[in-house]
Amino acid sequence: MIAVIRSAATCFWAVMRTKMAEQMAYRSHFVLSVILLIAGDLVVPLITLLVYRSGATFAGWTLYEALLVQAIFGLAKGIAFPLFFGMVNTTLGLVREGTFDLLLLKPRSVLWMTMLRGLDLDDFGRLISGGVLFGYALSGVSAPSITGWLQFAVLFAASLAVLCTFALLLSGLLFQWVGSSRVFDIFDSVTSFGMYPGTIYSKAVQQLLTYVIPVGLIANMPAVALLGRGGWETLGAAGASVVFLALGLWFWHAMLGRYTSAGG
Amino acid sequence: MTMIEVNQLTKTYMTHERGHSMREIAMNLIRRPMKEVRAVQDITFSVNRGEMVAFLGPNGAGKSTTLKMLTGVLHPTSGEAKVLGLTPWKQRREYVRHIGAVFGQKSQLLWDIPPIDAFYMNKAIYGVPEADYRRRLDQLTTLLQVGDIMKKPTRQLSLGERMKCEFIMAMLHGPQLVFLDEPTIGLDVFAKESIRDFIKDMNKQGVTFILTTHDLDDVELLAERVIVINHGEIVYDNALTNLQRLLGDKKNVRIVTDTPIRQLSLQGVTVVNSISEVEAELEIDTEIIPLKRFINAVNEQCGIQDMAITPLPIETLMKELYGQGSRTMTAASATGVPAGVAAQQGDLSM
Repeated sequence: MIAVIRSAATCFWAVMRTKMAEQMAYRSHFVLSVILLIAGDLVVPLITLLVYRSGATFAGWTLYEALLVQAIFGLAKGIAFPLFFGMVNTTLGLVREGTFDLLLLKPRSVLWMTMLRGLDLDDFGRLISGGVLFGYALSGVSAPSITGWLQFAVLFAASLAVLCTFALLLSGLLFQWVGSSRVFDIFDSVTSFGMYPGTIYSKAVQQLLTYVIPVGLIANMPAVALLGRGGWETLGAAGASVVFLALGLWFWHAMLGRYTSAGG
Repeated sequence: MTMIEVNQLTKTYMTHERGHSMREIAMNLIRRPMKEVRAVQDITFSVNRGEMVAFLGPNGAGKSTTLKMLTGVLHPTSGEAKVLGLTPWKQRREYVRHIGAVFGQKSQLLWDIPPIDAFYMNKAIYGVPEADYRRRLDQLTTLLQVGDIMKKPTRQLSLGERMKCEFIMAMLHGPQLVFLDEPTIGLDVFAKESIRDFIKDMNKQGVTFILTTHDLDDVELLAERVIVINHGEIVYDNALTNLQRLLGDKKNVRIVTDTPIRQLSLQGVTVVNSISEVEAELEIDTEIIPLKRFINAVNEQCGIQDMAITPLPIETLMKELYGQGSRTMTAASATGVPAGVAAQQGDLSM
């Protein structure tokens, strides 16, 4: 087991090294991408700020608390996008060209190779915007307790599992819907529900967003934990993320079976 | 010792038919009629360790599909294949550790960074020990004379240099079996020669090669055995030297005469290309008209000024084979060996 983990880690760092070298080949593109991502991710928090300045609020949430949800959303994307969402572009491009074959010729799990191939360092820029916003939001709320931080850690891991599942679902769809770059729109539409405090939705929608399509787990529930509003029972919702992830893994592999390559 | 054993391998897939008219394109939004395509039908063959086999066929014949099944990329619809004792599509991870692949039209290198970085990445992916990696890299770079170019960004390399690096990428983990798909496409004569010499060297060291190409020079210079596939079926599987006999004993003659060649009237002689009134390329069937009689007759009728006799070009033979489609040919017609004996030797399966 240790040998497998060591081998996977060696592989990961070797790919990261080449990805870094690739990014450095076009430094200006890299810097510009990072800046644009940061700017793009700050749009929703800026709108939230404007909403609160105009006197309106999300019921029961102060500005800082609302921003905390969006900051956690940014942080989760800052980790999940560079690690998992490159898979979607990799599948999109390679399946259409028939060059996905090259990944199947490597002696590793196809999913692992797809993920490695899709590693996207630009997206780590989202960590900067998310981190800055997180610090700013925390400065305006009472300091979380140790229990709050522990609950947050578990729920944040669940948040990453949910985002990873979305990447698996979108990537899997592309084995069937070859070349459909619109799959990202599906992701944006569905996850946009997770950018706002959960209590603004009806109870039924909240349940849906927690246990069926758990986008509420991406940011709302970790924020609730940090604010000390969630009990240990909220951790049960993390179980939904494990089921969701298992479903995503099953779906991706089932769709991989539909890969037909391209004419030679 | 058998390395590849393929038994009645078949691959069919569904594809949708699409028309060209505006109405048909619009109808496609609502309903897509599906059609079954039999890409490969019941093919059976085996390849021994250390062989160099050319796998040929016209576009769409089924050779790429066959190779994709043999590399573990595609699952067959039915049939079996054992390569190196493993079933490629069932034991893919274990299997691909022992094979390599070079695609003339699909690069495994990374466009923006030097090949050496891609080699390093492959070392980690295959888990090649450092000492083996260094030794093989030294050996391969010496054989292919790449040296410093490995440190230049891939996009700045010439096609020939890039292809040499593709070979290094495919060989660094020490594969026993290598699939080559159009390895010399687009290369100049020097690069082609270098690549072919490398393949021969590796083959001498025991590496088995399966070569797919439309460059028949590659076939003549590299392969000992040829498998031709057409319409998903194997139409020829034998030594390259026997290919000539398959279509009878024919020769290609380029001739320059004193008087116009059109006056020439001989059975078994076909004008392939009339260059001028007194110069032409002919194809003669020596079973109908032996060479000696042909030369005497031409000299008497037109007066020979110059003449060059060569075996029939391999292109002509291939065109004949591709044109024959799935028509069954017997071993005896190709080799003179009775069909049953040839089949036992694994020579022909047409």
